[in-house]
Amino acid sequence: MRKALVVVTTVSLFAYVLQFVFAAVGAFTKPAGDGAFALHSVTGMAVIPALTLLTVLFAVLAKAPGRLVGLALLPLGLVVLQALIAMLANSLTDASGGSTPFGLTVAGLHALNGIIAVHVVVAVHQGARKLAQPAPVAATRVAVREGEPA
Amino acid sequence: MGSLIAADLVIAVLAAAGWLGGGAAAAARRRLLALALAGFALLATVGRAVTVTALARAGWWFAAEKVLIAGPLTLAAVAVAVPRLLRAGDIRSVAVPLLFAGYAGSGALLVTVLHGYPASAGAGLLTVAGVLAATAVSWRVLGARPSGTVSRTAVAVAVGALVTGTGLAVAPAAAPAVTHDHRYEAAPEVGEPTRRFTLTAGTATVRVSGRDVEAWAFNGQVPGPELTATVGDVLEVTLRNRDIGRGVTLHWHGYDVPNSQDGVPDVTQDAVLPGQEFVYRFRADQVGTYWYHTHSVSDVGVRKGLYGVLVVRPAPATGVDVTVPVHTLAGLPLPAPRTEPVGAGTPVRLRLINTDSTTHRYALAGTPFRVAAIDGSDLRGPTPLADTAVLIPAGGRYDLVFTAPATPVALFVDGRAVYSTGPVSAETDAWPVLDPLTYGVAAPVPWSRFDKEFPLVLDRGLDLHGLLPRYAHTVNGAADPDIPTQVVRRGDVVRFTIVNRSLVVHPWHLHGHHVLVLSRNGKPATGSPLWLDSFDVRPGDVWEVAFRADNPGTWANHCHNLPHADAGMMLHLTYS
Repeated sequence: MRKALVVVTTVSLFAYVLQFVFAAVGAFTKPAGDGAFALHSVTGMAVIPALTLLTVLFAVLAKAPGRLVGLALLPLGLVVLQALIAMLANSLTDASGGSTPFGLTVAGLHALNGIIAVHVVVAVHQGARKLAQPAPVAATRVAVREGEPA
Repeated sequence: MGSLIAADLVIAVLAAAGWLGGGAAAAARRRLLALALAGFALLATVGRAVTVTALARAGWWFAAEKVLIAGPLTLAAVAVAVPRLLRAGDIRSVAVPLLFAGYAGSGALLVTVLHGYPASAGAGLLTVAGVLAATAVSWRVLGARPSGTVSRTAVAVAVGALVTGTGLAVAPAAAPAVTHDHRYEAAPEVGEPTRRFTLTAGTATVRVSGRDVEAWAFNGQVPGPELTATVGDVLEVTLRNRDIGRGVTLHWHGYDVPNSQDGVPDVTQDAVLPGQEFVYRFRADQVGTYWYHTHSVSDVGVRKGLYGVLVVRPAPATGVDVTVPVHTLAGLPLPAPRTEPVGAGTPVRLRLINTDSTTHRYALAGTPFRVAAIDGSDLRGPTPLADTAVLIPAGGRYDLVFTAPATPVALFVDGRAVYSTGPVSAETDAWPVLDPLTYGVAAPVPWSRFDKEFPLVLDRGLDLHGLLPRYAHTVNGAADPDIPTQVVRRGDVVRFTIVNRSLVVHPWHLHGHHVLVLSRNGKPATGSPLWLDSFDVRPGDVWEVAFRADNPGTWANHCHNLPHADAGMMLHLTYS
C-alpha cells in the first residue's frame, strides 16, 4: 500500500506539471475563446481532485502518520480555493466585461495558489517515499513520542 | 451589491481556511499558531454575520442557504470550538473541534457555490453528513478515539443524513419541463409578400482585419444581408441550409412575430438541416432596429457569424441612417471602421446593435445626441446628452440621433472608433454611463395589478440530472431542460422578478414579448417607459419587469449570454 501511495503521488505530480502546461496552452491560444482553457479546467476540477482523494485514501490505508494525511488533504482545499479565485477574477470586470486592475490582482493569486499547491504535493510525495523506505530507528522514536502527552 | 456577494464569499473562504489551519496547527502542537488562526477564523465568522445580514436585507434570495444551512453549521462549529479553546490544556485536544469548525465552514461554502438558491433539505443533510464523516475520520487519524456513544451517535446521524439527503437530492423535479410534442403552431395568414429575401447558411471564409477567418455565414457574408422593410410591407424570408450540419433557424431578435415564425428549434419548428429550407412570413408592423440570428446551437452559430440586421422604417430613410452591428468574430472586432463625410445639418441615426454575448460600451464623441429608441421602442421625451457613454446588453439595440455638426463626430465601441465623419481624438473611457431607468419623461404603468408573478433567481449550481454532471447556469436552482415551464393565460398581466445571485452579468431575453421595466433594486424606474427585450441583470441586481400576455404560443425565455443559455439558463413560457 505504501508503494501505491508513492505511485499515486508521482502521478499527481505529473498531473500538476501538465496543469501548468495546460495553463500556458490556454494563455497562448489564438483567438482566445471560451474553449482555450478547457483542458486546464477539466484537469483542475476533475483529474486533480480525483487524484487528491486517491492520495488521501492510500495514505490512510498505508497507515501514514496524521501529518502526512493532513498534508495529502490540503490540496483539496487549495483546489476549491483555486476554482473560487478563478471565478472571482473572471467576475471582477468593468461594465463591458473588460479586466480591471483589482480583478487581475485576484487573478495573480490563482498563480500563487498553484505554486503553493505544487509545493504541498512535492512534500506529500517526499513523505510517501520516506514512508515506503524501511523504517529507520529515528522514525520509530518519533512515532512513539506522538502518542505521549506533551 | 455584486461586490458584497464576492466579499461574503471571500470572508467565508478565509473563515474556513482559518479553522482548518488552526486545526492542523493544533494537531502539530503549534500552540501559538493554532490560537492565532482560530482567533482569525472567529473574527472572519463575525464578519460573515455582517455580510450575510446585509445580503438578507437586500433580499432573501441572496441569503437563504447562508442563513438556513451555513448559519446552524457555523453556530455549532463556534459552540464546539470556542469553549474547548478557552479551557484547553493540551493544544492537541482542540485539533478535532477546530477541524470540525473548518469542515462545517467548508461544507457551508460548498452549498453556496455548488447548490445555491433555493436552500434545500437535501443539500443541508448531505452537508451535515459530509461534515460528520470528515470529523470522524480526523478523529480516528489523530489517534484520540472518541467514546463509544459519541462515535456511534455520529455515525448514526451521518448515515441518516446521507441517506435522507441523497434521497431528497435525486428525487425527480416537481414539475416537468415543456413537452416538445412536435405539434408546432400553424403559421397565420399574412397576405402577399412585398419584400422577399433568401438567406443561405453555409460555411465560408471571410476576411476580417486582413485575416482569413473560417466562419458560418448567411449568403457568404458576416454579418448576413441587411433586411429592411417599411411599415406595411409583408416580409418573406426563405432560409436555406447548404452545409451547417447542426442545423439552422432564424430568430427575429426583439421582433415580436407570431409563435410559428420565432425560429426556436424543437419549440416552434424543426431545425433546418443541410439541403432543407424554411420560409418565414410576417408583417412589418413594428418600427425599429432588430436583428436576426440562428437559434440552433445558437452559442456556436451566432459566434461564428450566423446573424444580420433587420430594420423596419416608418417611411423611406431620410438623412443618414447607419446600422452598427457589433460582433466579435474569431477574436476580431466587427464591423470594420468606416469614415464618411456628412454635411452639416444632416439628421443622423446610428442604430447600435450588440450581437455578442457580453455587454459593449458605446461612446459618441463630437456632438450632443439623444437616445431615440431602445430595443426598437421609441423613448418618451429623450433629452440631449453629451460626453456620455451607453452600455448595450448582449442582444440589445440603441438608436442614437443627432444633427450633424460642421465638425467631425466619431462613435467608439470599447474605445475603438467604428464609425466617424472625420478624424476625432477623444478620451471616452472616463465618461459617465447613461442609466436608461432615469432618462426621458415618465408615464404611468398601464396596469395596477398582476395576474401572474414569477421569480427568476439566477445562479450557478451543480446539475446532476444529465448524462454527465455539469456546473450549470441555473434558474431557481434548476437547469434546462428541468426548469418548470411558466404557464400564462392570454390577457394575463405577468410580472417577473429577476434576481442575480451569481458573480456574472445575465442579459435576460424573453421571446415574443417586450417587457416594461418597473423597478431595479427596489427603486422604481423614473424615466421614459422602457419596453425592453434584452436587459443586463448585473450581479446582485433585482429587476421587476411586466408584460401583457398577448402573443400565444410557447416561447423561449433565457439568458442571451449564449454560452450561459447552453449551460442551462433557458426556460419556456407557454399559454394554457
